[in-house]
Amino acid sequence: MTTDIAAETLKLPSLDYAALAPMLILFGVGCVGVLVEAIAPKKARFPVQLVLAVLGIAASLTAIVLAAGTEKVTAAGAVAVDGPGLFLQGSIAVLGLVALLLISERSLERGGAFVAQAAVTANSEADRDQATRGSGATEVYPLIIFSLGGMMLFAAANDLLTMFVALEVFSLPLYLLCAMARRRRLLSQEAALKYFLLGAFASAFFLFGIALVYGYAGRVDFAGIHAAVLDSPNDIALLYIGLAMVAIGLLFKAALAPFHVWTPDVYQGAPTPVTALMAACTKVAAFGGLLRVLYVAFERSQWDYRPVLGAIAVLTMLVGAVLAVTQTDIKRLLAYSSIANAGYVLVGVLAISKAGLASSLFYLVAYGFSVLAAFGIVTLVRDADGEATHLSRWAGLGRRSPLYATLFTFLLLAFAGIPLTSGFTAKFGVFAAAIEADQTWLVIAGVITSAIIAFPYLRVVVMMWLSEPGESTPAVSLPGALTAAAVTIGAAATLLLGIVPQPLLDMTENAAHFVR
Amino acid sequence: MNGLVTLAAAAGEVKGGEAATFYLLAPIAVICAIGMVWARNAVHSALFLVVTMLCLGVFYVLQAGPFIGMVQIIVYTGAIMMLFLFVLMLVGRDASDSLIETLRGQRMTAVLLGLGFAGLVATGLYRALGNLDSVGLTQANSVHGGNVPGIAALLFTKYVFAFEVTSALLITAAVGAMILAHIEKRPDQKIAQPERMRARFAPDNYPGPKPGPGVFANSTSVATPAVLPDGTQSERSMSKILPQRELTAAEAAPKGTEHQ
Repeated sequence: MTTDIAAETLKLPSLDYAALAPMLILFGVGCVGVLVEAIAPKKARFPVQLVLAVLGIAASLTAIVLAAGTEKVTAAGAVAVDGPGLFLQGSIAVLGLVALLLISERSLERGGAFVAQAAVTANSEADRDQATRGSGATEVYPLIIFSLGGMMLFAAANDLLTMFVALEVFSLPLYLLCAMARRRRLLSQEAALKYFLLGAFASAFFLFGIALVYGYAGRVDFAGIHAAVLDSPNDIALLYIGLAMVAIGLLFKAALAPFHVWTPDVYQGAPTPVTALMAACTKVAAFGGLLRVLYVAFERSQWDYRPVLGAIAVLTMLVGAVLAVTQTDIKRLLAYSSIANAGYVLVGVLAISKAGLASSLFYLVAYGFSVLAAFGIVTLVRDADGEATHLSRWAGLGRRSPLYATLFTFLLLAFAGIPLTSGFTAKFGVFAAAIEADQTWLVIAGVITSAIIAFPYLRVVVMMWLSEPGESTPAVSLPGALTAAAVTIGAAATLLLGIVPQPLLDMTENAAHFVR
Repeated sequence: MNGLVTLAAAAGEVKGGEAATFYLLAPIAVICAIGMVWARNAVHSALFLVVTMLCLGVFYVLQAGPFIGMVQIIVYTGAIMMLFLFVLMLVGRDASDSLIETLRGQRMTAVLLGLGFAGLVATGLYRALGNLDSVGLTQANSVHGGNVPGIAALLFTKYVFAFEVTSALLITAAVGAMILAHIEKRPDQKIAQPERMRARFAPDNYPGPKPGPGVFANSTSVATPAVLPDGTQSERSMSKILPQRELTAAEAAPKGTEHQ
C-alpha cells in the first residue's frame, strides 16, 4: 500500500541529455566494446575496438564542443556543466585520444604492449609461449573508455556521492590495466596490486570524509555544503576532519606527498602506454575533482585548508625533486617528475582565484601533452627484452638516434620549465597566480625545487649526448604510425604552447568560472 | 517491523532495549575487528570479520535503517564473506603471511601511527557529536511511506545518475574478473575424449581412481596416507597441499577387530 503512494509521487528528475552526452557516449561505447569482445571473431576485434574507441572519444569531444558555454546543474544536482568542467572533459578526451594511439601501437612488439591472457601464470611455459605469439588482449579498449568516462564525470560531479562513484569508475579499470603488461609481468601484477590496495584504502578515507561532511552540513551537494560552511549549527570539528579525509582521497589520486608512495612503483610496473594515460588523464581528472571540491564546496574554509595544503604542495615539490635525483630508472624518474609537477599544479590551485584556476587548467593540459610524448619515446627505446628503462642504457643515445634524443631533451627541458616550452608558460602562470594571491612562500619553494629537479633532467641529457654509446645501448625502434603520431602531437603541443600559448590561455581564462 | 523501528528511534535518545543491545554487541564487534587483524590464520580472520559485520548489521537495524541492516547481513556477511571463505578453502588455508619485515620497524610505526590517528579522530568525533541531537529521522523514514521506499525514492530521483553510473562499475568488475581469471584455450589445446581415454590406459598410468587417505583404517586425519596391501604407504592417496603425517607405532600396527 505504502509503495503505491511512493510510486505516484516519484518523478524522474530532468536530465539534460545534451550536457550529459560526453559521458553517456563514452559509457555507451564502453558497453558496445564489451559486446564486441563477446561477438566479434578474434582476428577482427583489434581493428573494430580501435575504430570504435577512436570514434567514441571523437563523438564525446564533439558533444563537449557543442555544449561549450553551457552553465547549469543537471541530473537533480548531481552533475555540473560549466566552463572548468567542460574544459577538463575536453582535455581528458584529447589526451585520452593521444594515449589511445600509444596503447594501440602493435608494430614495436608483436601483439602490442599488453599480455594476451593476463590469467596465465607469469613465467610459466604457457606464458613464454603467449609472450612470443599471442596478440594482446583487446579488453583494454572498453576498460579505457569506461575509465575516461569516469574521469569526465569526476571532473563534473556536483555532489560528493557522485564524485565517489566516478572515482571508483575511473580507478577500477586503471587497476586492471596496470596488471596487463606483456613483459615483466610479475612487476606489473605487483604494481596493480599495490595500486588497488592503496587506492581502496584512499577511497575508504574519501568515503569516511563524505560521511563526516554530511554529518556537518546535512547535505552532500556542493552548493549545500557551501551554504552550510557559513551557518551550520554543528561542531566545526566535523567539517575539518571530513574535509581532511576527502582531501586525502583526492590527494592520493593526484599523487601528492605524502600520499605519493604508490606512484613510482605503479608507473614503473604498468605497461608504458597505460603509465602515459595515468600521468596525463588521471592527473587532469584528479585535479579537476580537487579544484571543484576546494573552489565550489569549501571555498569559505579556504583560510583553514590553505596552510595545510600549502605545506603539502611544498612537501610534494621537495619530495618529487629530491628523490628524482636518486633514480636510475627512466620510468621512475618520470614518476617522481610527475609528483613534483603535481606540486606545481597545487601551487596554482591554492591561489583560490580566477587566475589560479585558469593557470592550473593550463598547466594540466601542457603537462599532459609533454608527459604523453615522453612516455611515448620511452616505449621506443628497447632491446630484445622489451623496453630498456635503466638510465645507464640511455647513455650515448644521442649518437645512435639523434632525432629521438633531441625530442626527449626538448621534453625534459619542458619539464624543467625552460622558456620557449609549454613548461615555462605553465609554471609562470601558476607562480604568477600564487604571488597575486599572496602565496609567495609557495612560489619560493617552487623556484628552489625547480632548480633541484633540473639536475636529474640535465643528467639524462648529458648522458644521452656526451657519453659514448656502449655495447648495451639499445637501438631506438622505428615507431609505427600510431606512436609516431602520438609523440609528434605531444612534442608539437609542448612547443606550440611555449611559443604561442595565447589561444589556450584565453580559453582557460574564459572557462575559469565554476557554477554552483 | 518498520513502524516499530521508526518508533524506537524517534524518541531521539538511546535507551532501553536499544542501549542494551548496543552495549552488548559493541564490545563484541570491536574485539572481533581486532581479532580479524590479529589472527594468523586467514580462515579465523574471515570468521572474525563475519561476526563484526553481523554486529554492524544489527546496529543499522537498531538505528531505524532496516534496509541497510538487511543488505549488510545478506550481501556482505551472507554472500561476499562466504564466497571469500570458499576461495580460502580452495586455495588452501596454509598460505599465511610472511612475517619478515622488509622495512625495519615498519610494523611498530604503523601500529603507533594508527593508534594515534584513531585517537585523534575518535576524540574529534566525540567532541563534535557528544551532545548532538539527531533530528529528521522520523521524517526521512515516513515521507515516502517507510525506510525502503525512501531509499528507493532517493535512488531514482536525486541520485539517479550516480546509480546508473554504478552499472559501468559493475561491468568493469565483471570484465576485470574475466581478464584476471579466465584462460581461453586455443582449439589445438582442447583435449577430446578419445585422447583422454588413450592417455588413461597408456603404459605407466594407473587407470583406476586414486586410493582414499587412510582415515578410517589408521587415524582421524586426512593427512594420514593409506596403507597398501603390501604394507607400504601410498602417496597417491593424499592431497599434495597437505603435509604428510608420520604414523605412530600404535597407529601403524595392524588392527584386529576382536579388541574393539
